[in-house]
Amino acid sequence: MKEKEGIANCPEQQVILYVEKEDGKFGPIQTGSYLSANYLDDYFYKRKNLELSLRKRVIDGEISLVYYYTVLVDLSISELASRVGISKSRVKKHFEPKHFGKCSVEELRKYAKVFNVPVANLLQIVLINIDDNPESLFILENKTLNISIEQNSTGNPYLSMTKIEERMK
Amino acid sequence: MIIENFKHKMAAHCESGTITSLLNHAGLQISEPLVFGISSGLFFGYFHKMKSFPFPTFIVRNKPGQMRVNITKRIGTKFNEYSFHKNEDGTRKLDELLQNNIPIAAQVDFFYLDYVPSWERVHINVHFMVIIGKEDSNYIISDSYFPELIKLKANSLENSRFAGGSMSPKGFIFNVADIPSSINYEAAIIKGIKKVCFNMLHIPIPFLGVKGIRLFAKKIVEWPNFARDIEHLSHEIMKINILLEDQGTGGAGFRFMYATFLQEAANILRKQELGDLSRQLMEIGDGWRELSLFAARIGKNRDLGPEKLKQLSELILNRAEVEENFFIKLNNVIKRA
Repeated sequence: MKEKEGIANCPEQQVILYVEKEDGKFGPIQTGSYLSANYLDDYFYKRKNLELSLRKRVIDGEISLVYYYTVLVDLSISELASRVGISKSRVKKHFEPKHFGKCSVEELRKYAKVFNVPVANLLQIVLINIDDNPESLFILENKTLNISIEQNSTGNPYLSMTKIEERMK
Repeated sequence: MIIENFKHKMAAHCESGTITSLLNHAGLQISEPLVFGISSGLFFGYFHKMKSFPFPTFIVRNKPGQMRVNITKRIGTKFNEYSFHKNEDGTRKLDELLQNNIPIAAQVDFFYLDYVPSWERVHINVHFMVIIGKEDSNYIISDSYFPELIKLKANSLENSRFAGGSMSPKGFIFNVADIPSSINYEAAIIKGIKKVCFNMLHIPIPFLGVKGIRLFAKKIVEWPNFARDIEHLSHEIMKINILLEDQGTGGAGFRFMYATFLQEAANILRKQELGDLSRQLMEIGDGWRELSLFAARIGKNRDLGPEKLKQLSELILNRAEVEENFFIKLNNVIKRA
């Protein structure tokens, strides 16, 4: 690949590409990710649709929030079971609302750690109203909002703090 | 504290970049393509059904961690390596090494790294980075995928070092222990190339090497059977572009970086044939890039009917044909070296 063919404008995601330079030598250039520069809007479009459809299924009682997060973070059942330290069949049961109720708090804590969310978020979906569209905090690019919402863990493994504040203008 | 004289540098790939950074800091001037080539980084594997992955996928590099093992064997560098059963022990050892001004490479799960943009974050336990300091409750990270040094919260680092699942890092860290006084680069390069040729041409496993590329071409038309809906299929098809271009490969699934290695190897071994082959591989890489851009385009347009997937399959199959010829030639040249 010639050097000029490798250039893409994407300050948010820089990559190193190896290209043929003008003198015929091959070497690295730092440039933007072509995919992120051109297709990131499509990624977020699909992700919002996916979250919306999963949220509806949670509300309708078809699936649990364990399943919701498993799909959103793109994990296989085996991988999730291995990370939580329980059997695949038990994970499959926890995907269903009727068995989810039998989850221990300790299992919830382990799931929450894998999904990198507070334990409380396995019992709730935090929504933010943007232009009359309630969007899930889990998939939002928080940085773009007028308010900052931070959910931080504490020394107590079962307690997290949710802090909401207006951003400085 | 921070190790002031550590030079942060971006790299194409996290593992080869991390090893290169550590070796450079220890005084060995070696390029990332040379580390990648000597350690036989180039590879191909297709996984149609594997428990760890929720969807069929492929890899374009050798087993994570193998670059360090191969570079150790072939150029004689030595690394101190540590893994841990308890998080506290892992944190204590890391802090102790940093106190002694030693930059430490760590294996981590990419998902917990707060500084990574949300669209890049996935659970994968085989990301490598260098830790070069600690300030209050933050570690100072040299991550070769980012232009600047980064601060990472101690608890995020701990989560990423001690994530469970397949290829769990178990807190694994390593640092340079010794650099040999002289290195036989010629022998190391030859061994590195021979291993890649073996892996691509002769490894007796049907989903690895060139056979793996052919299997990928054959099976991609079945991908709609695994998808939830058209948007899921679009996402997975567009991930072909990510795996080949964006996920730390230097472009075209490492083919561009390997071509750069071959150009460097041609000079070291004084073999013009390797220089010619490096140009051929650059062109082969252009074909991989064309394929990945095609995947991104049809994914974006949701143009994912049987005809388009067949076209994609043919592009992949074509890469198998050209790579088989290429590695046969490379194997013949290196046998005579």
